[in-house]
Amino acid sequence: MTTDGASTISVELRERLVPIFGADIAIERLALLAGGASKEAWALDLRTPQGKRELLVRRAGGGVIHQETLTLEDEHRLLEVASAAGVRVPQPYGYLGEIVGRPAFVSERVSGETIGRRIVQRPELAGAREVLPAQMAEELAKIHAIPAERVPFLGGIGARDVLGRLTKEVDRLEDAHPPIELGLAWARQRAPEPSETVVLHGDLRVGNLAVTATGLGHVLDWEFGHRGDPAEDVAWPLVRAWRFGVDQLRLGGVGDVEPYLERYNALTGRHITLASLEYWEIVGNLKWAIGALTQSRRHLSGQQRSVELAVLGRLAAEMEFELLHLVERAG
Amino acid sequence: MQDRPNAAELAQAVREFVETEVLPGIDDPRLRFRTLVAVNGLGILEREISLGAPLVRREVGSLARLLGHADPLPEDLEELRRRASELNRELALRIRAGDIPEGTLAHLVATVADKLRIASPRYLERYR
Repeated sequence: MTTDGASTISVELRERLVPIFGADIAIERLALLAGGASKEAWALDLRTPQGKRELLVRRAGGGVIHQETLTLEDEHRLLEVASAAGVRVPQPYGYLGEIVGRPAFVSERVSGETIGRRIVQRPELAGAREVLPAQMAEELAKIHAIPAERVPFLGGIGARDVLGRLTKEVDRLEDAHPPIELGLAWARQRAPEPSETVVLHGDLRVGNLAVTATGLGHVLDWEFGHRGDPAEDVAWPLVRAWRFGVDQLRLGGVGDVEPYLERYNALTGRHITLASLEYWEIVGNLKWAIGALTQSRRHLSGQQRSVELAVLGRLAAEMEFELLHLVERAG
Repeated sequence: MQDRPNAAELAQAVREFVETEVLPGIDDPRLRFRTLVAVNGLGILEREISLGAPLVRREVGSLARLLGHADPLPEDLEELRRRASELNRELALRIRAGDIPEGTLAHLVATVADKLRIASPRYLERYR
């Protein structure tokens, strides 16, 4: 897996930016913020006649793309639709086609803290933490109101399909995982009947939000967008791994669940129950336990050698432990 | 027989070197994060070398009781690991088939706690 240097992509990138920002532009800075096999993120400072623009270029990485993620073209389209629906997203400026052989899009580059551990701990973000739960509920309500026909490329799945997909992923791991099997068996027995299916962000949690002193700035990382049960999205930020050590605050290490759920239900007219969130929280832990094991297999198979992915294989035990306790409590 | 440092001591020496001499000089936040992950990985290795064998033995014993196998436990560590893998497969298949042995949940909680003693002891201590 290789990452291209800025000089490799800057010429083609500039050409693709001309239709969007005009011919009188110059790249002042182009720096890789995050590499990776699946996606790259580049900070781009662009000089335009209207002044300097701070942009972000998302580009496919050199490795194998996750099966369950959107293409960059679809992710960009989803950002456009979400933006039009009033969701706080970085303004998308355009899908760029392939830049030196890999698809890319350009959006606004937003400021704010994105690192989960800092969001739940930093004293200067205490005020933000007070308003984040309600703001997360508000953004979810807006996302779940996006008309599905605007994003026809999103796959739609209910609880049984989610569990079917997770079972397939477990079967692709070469060894057996009894704690995960027990969780899957529990979840299959209690799978809710398919209810309404809405547009989901798929990964809305602390760590995928840009947070400023005044609270939620932007909702980031839309690559897991899909259609499904709204409770799946509402429960995802409850998963213990996304509390970043502040475990007693069940909503992402920043707040209690009840006011967040009340706000969401009030805004949407839905009646999602705490019991439903408990169900999807267990499924969320299953999803991330299996995800961590799958990620480590990317390293082990040589798809993407990375110490980070390797160690994730061992950290799956944390999600298994949580999963078993949640199952025990739920009965 | 290799001379000292033994495997755990060698892993510890490398971890301490990375922590005290490499890490302070790294400014790039992405590289810093991955270096911390590497340090964590070495810590896992140290704990596995010193604690791993009795925990595998305990897991195999618990699995054998749960699944009703009476044959004696192997002495050899590699053999124990193979047995653990086989028995875990057997348990996973039974759970998948809906034939969940009595006591499975308690066995799994204890076994995953043992995995965490090596992989993430702080998570285990903090967990409530």
